[in-house]
Amino acid sequence: MMIREGLSNRILLWAITIAGLIVIYAPPLYLLAVSFNPALQPGLPRLSDLSVTWYAALPNDRALVGALQQSLMIATITAVLATGMSLMAALAYFELRAQRTAWFLTVILPMFVPGVIQGLALSAVFTRSGIKASSLTVIAGHLLWAMPFAFIVILTSFAAVRRSYLTAAADLGATWWRQFVDITLPLIRPGLISAFIFSFLLSLNEFTRAFYLAGRQNTLPVVLFGKMNSGASPVIYAMSGAIFLVSVACVALASLHFMLRRN
Amino acid sequence: MTGSRLPISSALMTPPLLSILAFGLAPLTIVVVWSFWSWDPSTYWIKPDLSLAGYAGILEAGRWTVIVSTLVKAFATALLCLLIAYPTAYAVHFLAGRRLSIILLALITIPFFTSYLIRSFSWRLVLGRTGVLNSWLQDIGIINAPLDWLLFSNFAVVVGLVASYLPFATFPLLLSMRRVDPTFLAAAQDLGAGFWKSLTSILLPLTMSGIFAGFLFVFVMVVGSSTEVQMLGGAGASIVSVMINDVMRVANYPLAFAISTIVLIVIFGLVLIGNRMFGLASLFEDQSP
Repeated sequence: MMIREGLSNRILLWAITIAGLIVIYAPPLYLLAVSFNPALQPGLPRLSDLSVTWYAALPNDRALVGALQQSLMIATITAVLATGMSLMAALAYFELRAQRTAWFLTVILPMFVPGVIQGLALSAVFTRSGIKASSLTVIAGHLLWAMPFAFIVILTSFAAVRRSYLTAAADLGATWWRQFVDITLPLIRPGLISAFIFSFLLSLNEFTRAFYLAGRQNTLPVVLFGKMNSGASPVIYAMSGAIFLVSVACVALASLHFMLRRN
Repeated sequence: MTGSRLPISSALMTPPLLSILAFGLAPLTIVVVWSFWSWDPSTYWIKPDLSLAGYAGILEAGRWTVIVSTLVKAFATALLCLLIAYPTAYAVHFLAGRRLSIILLALITIPFFTSYLIRSFSWRLVLGRTGVLNSWLQDIGIINAPLDWLLFSNFAVVVGLVASYLPFATFPLLLSMRRVDPTFLAAAQDLGAGFWKSLTSILLPLTMSGIFAGFLFVFVMVVGSSTEVQMLGGAGASIVSVMINDVMRVANYPLAFAISTIVLIVIFGLVLIGNRMFGLASLFEDQSP
């Protein structure tokens, strides 16, 4: 809804809003621009100088390519598991009455556990029980990081499911499974797609847990972190720029699709 | 329909609950228990002898000052985020038209799913000695020499933290504004209340749960953050998570587990108290029938 305000108040409100967006977006966008500069010194490229030199150099970096493959594999499995688990959690939430809040908090709380503490706890427990660090241990860590977000997204999409639809179907003799497949699932499909994409990106970009849990093959953020701290190189800008661009494009598409469908 | 309710919901709850227990609650509980064990030099691990050495270690080597400075950073960041997020949520909800509000919502959603590592790192290009800000300030003649305190300083860390966690404040505020009945505001306007009057006497009290949730979310995320300090902090800069990292590197397990326990108690305590006082869960729950 819209409210009429005095001009000066509106200018103040919009100025702060824009300032907040600049704080969030200006630095990574500047890094993105720098990544198209062929010069070694970081700086804005002139339009005539725009070049993908550093992007072309990416496939030659064995460490980055190996880490990227590992990260993509981990992110895909994490996204499948997190979406499935959150769907079950959201369906259970929908069925529950009295213990709703307790269940909600149980699923959401892992979001607040600091990455370092969860990574260190899992890695210590795995090591003690003789489980070797591998992609599986990273997935275990990433699952709980992605689930709360996926859960909230799927829960939001449940707004489209009216209880009367299900009651009507039940009156006509539909089983729980039949109601789920024919009514609930089609209605929450945009939420499921968004949840999958968001979980994928959360895992792809996750650093602190993977730092503790990765085995011999590190994930991309862990390799990037090492490179960032051992001196800046344009290849880092290109890799960071590419990852940032892909993430933004995915979320923008998913959230626009989701919000347009909801309205 | 009613008879089959309970078994279905428990069957649905089992897989997510098991993974939360196995990968979340169980390891964290074990760490809390281990924090009371003592270091065993012969196995290079810990042994089950009750000891408070880990907790005593927190009081040594100025480690408690890191905890205090983490809490100060978290408080400052949360406050700054609220000051930016409240006008943002207001603009998105009350001022923007439908199309613009969808675009703004997407812009606020995107940062959750981009890399905190890359976003922190990119501030180096902006705040460095030869960075954008320094060269720009020199170009327009405000300063003669580059400012050194812009990067690798507490200033840089707080700027990076605000940039990282701002959306965690904006979202709960937006959700709480959605629950405000717009006729209250219209009525206040009809009765002659100006913007500031209706803000302080109607909107702020009605969005208190969003304000508290936004503050809490940012506070908790900062207490658990590490990349911002690792990328933007000066020499010797620390924050609780980085300190845990450093302690683990020298294999002082009881100390690392003790610090983790304290942090977990602070975080879960705040979230649960917040839920008691302001019904955090209900902010999100209203979304579903």
